Amino acid sequence: MDTTLLGIINTVLDNRSKPTISELKDSDHFRDDIGFDSLDLAELTVRIEAEFDVDVFENGLVNTVEEIKERLMQKA
Amino acid sequence: MNVIVTGVSKGLGLEVARTLLNQGYNVYGISRSKTDALEQLLNEFPQSIHWVSFDLSDAESIRDIVFKQFIGLKTPIHGLVNNAAIAYDDIATNADLNALEAMYKVNVYSPIILSKYAIRQMLLHNIAGSLVHLSSISVHTGYKGLSMYASTKGALEAYSKNISREWGSKGIRSNCVVAGFMETEMSSALTDEQKAKIYRRTSLKKEVSIQSVADTIDFLLSDKSESITGQNIFIDNGTI
Repeated sequence: MDTTLLGIINTVLDNRSKPTISELKDSDHFRDDIGFDSLDLAELTVRIEAEFDVDVFENGLVNTVEEIKERLMQKA
Repeated sequence: MNVIVTGVSKGLGLEVARTLLNQGYNVYGISRSKTDALEQLLNEFPQSIHWVSFDLSDAESIRDIVFKQFIGLKTPIHGLVNNAAIAYDDIATNADLNALEAMYKVNVYSPIILSKYAIRQMLLHNIAGSLVHLSSISVHTGYKGLSMYASTKGALEAYSKNISREWGSKGIRSNCVVAGFMETEMSSALTDEQKAKIYRRTSLKKEVSIQSVADTIDFLLSDKSESITGQNIFIDNGTI
């Protein structure tokens, strides 16, 4: 799951011409650490949904990598 | 190029679908019923028109029925035409909450939820797509008995203006087509006298051409309008 998530996050960063990242920590905050804005988060949601069939924003905002993983585990 | 068109069974929606099919688009059409005219279109373009029977008063099912089952979440979407609408016409002092809610579901809530998922699919496929929403001259001119209907279209215009700002950096455009009175079922409740009065208020003194509105929608979906977003395009015979 980590590798897939890292790939998705880097696709979103790359689409906005932002620098990509080489590793992902559970504590990483999307806005503060990864550099996402609200449009990037929207694209992230869509790409995760296409991959895992889960809308991670369905039940409110998520801020960290750990929170996304928790939502994915819940639906698994 | 895949375009979603709502209200394809008759009137303007049917003409929009036909115009787009003639240009080589794939059309994903949505309507409650299948009319003879729609059946004819389905037979004429069996490869490029897809149709689902769906009631747009059920906005909660849009994701599952329209996007997951009918279109498929992995199908790239290049355009959305929010055309379907219902008219609840009465004077303000007779406003009925149930009728008002039913109209808002079809005219406002569903277009917003359809736009939500269309934009999502544009993001997934990196598509600079185009959203076109059908508005009405009643928003700008005002007619007796149309206050509540016009309020739904005014809501759609405000929504379109704001999403054009929100998603412009992704190349996604959103525009409204402000149509004057056409000879469709939507205006069939009007008497000839009422219609004549409405047409006298236009520069061209007649009903608006359905084809002219359909061609403008075609233009707004195409790259020819690549620098147009957040606009209301009036196709109203010059209403005064």
